[in-house]
Amino acid sequence: MTRIATPLALLLAALAYFVPAAAGGTPVVYAACTTIAILAVMAYGADLILSYLGEVSLGHTIFWAAGGYAAAMLSVGPGWNGWMTAGASVAIALVLACVLGWVTLRTREFVFSLVTYAAAVVAMEVAFNWSFLGGSDGIVGVPPLELTLFGRGITGSTNAELWPVAWGLLMLTLLFIQRFRQSRLGTSALMVQMNPDLAQALGVDARSVRFLVFVASAPISALAGWLYAYQRAYVGPDMFESYFLVLMLTAIVIVGRRLLLGPLIGTALIIVQQTFFSIGGDGDKIVLGAVLAAILLVWPKGLIGLWELMRVRRA
Amino acid sequence: MNLAQQIINGLVLGSGYALIAIGWTVLLGAARLVNFAHGQLYMLAAFLAWAAMQQYGVDYYVAVPIAVLALGLLGVVLQGVMLPLVMQQNLTSLMIVTLGFGYVFQGGAARVFGGDPQRLISPLQAESIRYGDIWFTLQDVVTLAGTLMLFGFLWLVMNRTRLGALVRSVAEDPKLAQLFGIDASRVYIGVFVFECAAVALGAGLVAPRSPILTSMGFDEVILTFVVVVLGGIGSVGGSLLAGFGLGMFTALFGALVSPAYTTAAAFLLLLIVLVTRPDGLAARR
Repeated sequence: MTRIATPLALLLAALAYFVPAAAGGTPVVYAACTTIAILAVMAYGADLILSYLGEVSLGHTIFWAAGGYAAAMLSVGPGWNGWMTAGASVAIALVLACVLGWVTLRTREFVFSLVTYAAAVVAMEVAFNWSFLGGSDGIVGVPPLELTLFGRGITGSTNAELWPVAWGLLMLTLLFIQRFRQSRLGTSALMVQMNPDLAQALGVDARSVRFLVFVASAPISALAGWLYAYQRAYVGPDMFESYFLVLMLTAIVIVGRRLLLGPLIGTALIIVQQTFFSIGGDGDKIVLGAVLAAILLVWPKGLIGLWELMRVRRA
Repeated sequence: MNLAQQIINGLVLGSGYALIAIGWTVLLGAARLVNFAHGQLYMLAAFLAWAAMQQYGVDYYVAVPIAVLALGLLGVVLQGVMLPLVMQQNLTSLMIVTLGFGYVFQGGAARVFGGDPQRLISPLQAESIRYGDIWFTLQDVVTLAGTLMLFGFLWLVMNRTRLGALVRSVAEDPKLAQLFGIDASRVYIGVFVFECAAVALGAGLVAPRSPILTSMGFDEVILTFVVVVLGGIGSVGGSLLAGFGLGMFTALFGALVSPAYTTAAAFLLLLIVLVTRPDGLAARR
């Protein structure tokens, strides 16, 4: 069962490519699916920290926003194409993650969360006030995404045109997470989280593991922000809003931590609720927050824990 | 720049920071619980007091105690729900749970109280006192006096009474404390209720300074973060010092450099301290 679980999960995600067309192919469906893919990729960045390091990063909105700002500024100003802005997004996220990772190197638990949150607040205030970054107005008029290779490829700004890119980015992220889980770094990270003494006895340097995982997680959220800038054709300080933070965390915990498809399914549940079953912006906030709190209080393992519980009872 | 006026402003701001932070400091010290709904609790208290005054015509001096009482009750409910996680000391989950609660409060308050900015009007805010070229309001004086009295009272309770000894023993080692017959769950609930009531008092005294919004949540109390961590986790005296220090820093930075970047500067200060002295100011044990 577990042996085929991962290829099966990846196959399912690959088949998701046909979901928008199968669901009617209307602009609303394409918008929802593209948004789900983008926000799921954003959540996978934070998932690397929460699931494998066991820490709560409240600073991943920085990388998310950094990717968006890089895409917007470089495509509006010097007119870079999608490949170049994507490269710049990754590079900027890596630099920021190195700085923040170094600052938080010796912090754990709530101090780590407080410091990453503090960094996000600083970043938001800078983005809000610095005219170089567009200030409170942000940057408008992001051109259509131009992602071509040898004359073939995608140029587009509508959700239907961006969907293949969003899906491709999601698949790349899933493959990366899958590789990470089996890598030396991934197993070391789990060991540092589960049994720090054993890790130390085996010669694993907990600090460098934590630092590397943190740095590796940043470009994922940044690339999500990169595509989000093209989807909305606008970036602004609202990318730092706690909505994205709460969404990331809820998406990760709702199904269950350390599951390859967990954040994707979680994001899909949330966005489907907000798109098709919305009860108003404030009502949706209540739903999102209540789901987040209730899951952790009642089924700490997520929905998968509920399923296991039912299976045990039946047996 | 009028230096004397800025020092007064710093004292006023600082007493507000310390007052809003104190509940959180005690909670963090005794239960190791980071309450990310702190800002929304502040917002909720301010709006409850406002609603009591607007809709039921209650006096300001009655509305604030009502808000304190209501938040205290809310504290019992919240901590009751979180108790299993608190007893397990599952701190990561708790942090995320409080974030969820905060989001619920924000959405709920927007539904109940509406999205418009409101004013919590205190009669003391209108009473200004001039002394040469410095200026402050009676509200500022009451906030400063209230903060000092609350801190003094808290210090006495924590260090001179049996109740304080109970809280400190649970903070030190909850399992050992339970072996000695101390009911840790009651201590946790008590500490959480204190946090909620203290932030409500803070809101009642500080919120009249500026318009209140249901979305203000964390923005209004974001600097208390700095107070809590800089003051030393769980240190009552440290919080008071950090509160006033931060108030002075904010007032002077705003006047001398740039008011727009004040919060960022305060957080940068926190980051620098954490890098240079990670153990001294925020050691785990």
